[in-house]
Amino acid sequence: MTTRRLQQLHPPGSGEGNLSPSAEMIEAPASDGAEIEVKLSSPSRWEGSVQLHDGRTVPFLAHRYGQQVHVWISGESYVFSPPTPIARARRSGQQASDDIVSPVPGVVITVHVAADDTVTAGQDLVIVESMKTEQIVKSPRDGVVQRVSVEEGDRVDKGMRLVVLVPEVGE
Amino acid sequence: MILFSKVLVANRGEIAVRVLQTLQAMGIATAAIYADPDDNAPHVALADEAFALEGSAAEETYLDRRKIIALAVQCGAEAVHPGYGFLAENPAFSKECVESGLVFIGPSPETIELLGDKIRSKDAAVQAGVPVVPSSPMWAPGESQADDMSAEIGFPLLVKAAAGGGGRGMRVVERVQDLYPALESASREAASAFGDGRVFLEQYIPAARHVEFQVLADSSGNTIHLLERECSVQRRYQKVIEETPSPALDQSLRNKMAASAVAMAKSAGYTNAGTVEFLVDAQTGDYYFLEMNARIQVEHPVTEETLKLDMVEWQTRIASGELIDFSQDDIQPQGHALECRIYAEDPYDNFAPATGQLLAWRPPSGMGIRLDSGVAEGQEITAYYDSMLAKLIVWGTDRQASIGRMLRALESFPVLGVTTNLPFLIRAINHPEFQSGDYDTGFIGKNQELTSPPESAILSGAAAQIAERFWQSAGRASGKGRGAATLQDMPGPWQGLPKSTLP
Repeated sequence: MTTRRLQQLHPPGSGEGNLSPSAEMIEAPASDGAEIEVKLSSPSRWEGSVQLHDGRTVPFLAHRYGQQVHVWISGESYVFSPPTPIARARRSGQQASDDIVSPVPGVVITVHVAADDTVTAGQDLVIVESMKTEQIVKSPRDGVVQRVSVEEGDRVDKGMRLVVLVPEVGE
Repeated sequence: MILFSKVLVANRGEIAVRVLQTLQAMGIATAAIYADPDDNAPHVALADEAFALEGSAAEETYLDRRKIIALAVQCGAEAVHPGYGFLAENPAFSKECVESGLVFIGPSPETIELLGDKIRSKDAAVQAGVPVVPSSPMWAPGESQADDMSAEIGFPLLVKAAAGGGGRGMRVVERVQDLYPALESASREAASAFGDGRVFLEQYIPAARHVEFQVLADSSGNTIHLLERECSVQRRYQKVIEETPSPALDQSLRNKMAASAVAMAKSAGYTNAGTVEFLVDAQTGDYYFLEMNARIQVEHPVTEETLKLDMVEWQTRIASGELIDFSQDDIQPQGHALECRIYAEDPYDNFAPATGQLLAWRPPSGMGIRLDSGVAEGQEITAYYDSMLAKLIVWGTDRQASIGRMLRALESFPVLGVTTNLPFLIRAINHPEFQSGDYDTGFIGKNQELTSPPESAILSGAAAQIAERFWQSAGRASGKGRGAATLQDMPGPWQGLPKSTLP
């Protein structure tokens, strides 16, 4: 019955197409075609029980938030959204973005690099404080900092760009 | 003895709610304070009066001593309950409360200062005959003598903040070249969380268990202990799951540690409720004093459940001058209690903090199930404050019974909109190592399966199908892709479902 498959935003799936450390997008796992039986227990909300392919009947609750569908099912929570252009580009094998993004929402407390710096994999780039805990954003690979998009003291959302990295040239 | 007529609660979240509930049950009028992001928070609604602190960052709100004391005095409160975190262990705050004619519900400023200094508190422990872990003097940014200190202690070692707790400003350092970056990062984090950037080095004891004893002391010096809490399930040195009794202690070790806890409290001149933390070497059965926390602990409910005693009530009574009216022999625990902390964090992404709007928050209920919560459905969870949303506590006649009750409760707790550690908690409680009782602080780190995304596509496949049908029934009709429909705009959920599945 599906005409357009939603994508699973969270939790990350088994490897395919990592967009960034913070926004893995994978194709929602195929459910071998067979439809599952959904029973609603409320006339006005999407909640009830569902029979899984392994025979278990488990509770679920679904909620829409903007362009996302959030589904709780038997203790796990999933977030889905319609495919976005960037995710489609990823799946069709185009090169990954060199944006280094914040893994958490918070405040930038230290910027360790400046434009044109050469960095190595594992080097500290930016420190973001969130919920009173420091999150150190490290470089995922060797490269050169093309641009630093934040300053110390800036508030950032999860997934917001901190640093743009380009591959090292020459040598 | 006359209790206070009004108390101001200088905190937020679940502990503010927890304290307000007891004060109200005691017939005491209550006042709350709140920062801008909390204007819809449950503690604000619950209190008889609530006062805006104006601002968002902790420093200008829940850590602003002057603002808070002025509000307490203005509203006619006789006492201030600090909860935990924020100003709970700030000696200047408790001193200024007293100077402003307010009773601080906690120990004296002198005791807070002594215990807040981890070096001096260790000295007090040594004097009381309590075993301690070897550690260094204080280090502050700009100083360089950490090399000598680390040589004396050896690697791996722990960098710890002089002030506070909750794992903030704490780092394990394996190699000498990582020492200074760790010191600087820990110092910054500690300065931000506690307003005190001093850190020190301590010998790291691997495979340790973290076991603490609750004590209660009144103004006459009468000090009793309320048994132990096992807190070894930790991530980033922060507790996640706690239980009592501890599966690690036999009666003889329990008695020895309890005697040490009481000796420590007496050595520090402690009054009110406090907690003496120990590391227990799982291999040898040796134990070491870590620190004494001069506040109510996050995990106090497990003690309350097995002893049927209200810790906040006793904090308040002791602060008002009442004496403890029961003896050590009256402390007879019943059954077993277990607590899971529900954090807004992603267990599949290194427990990174998560924010968002709580679209659904449906706590479980039933016999032996207690939820201490500071949030409500619809609330926005921001990055300003701690990521703990609530604590789920269960009681059972024995450990197995409370484990079963906890699992059922965790599995019937729908939360949407904010990523939480609930799936992790289910796996941790289900894990054979946890169920055996034979676990230590390395439990999460060594069992990778606890934090790997689910492998089976059965659940995610079902979730995807539900999402597809929901999207088609709700979204398509009103949204056409962009410009999402508000929830009110959405058509009934039955549309798009096969008729046979209608309720």
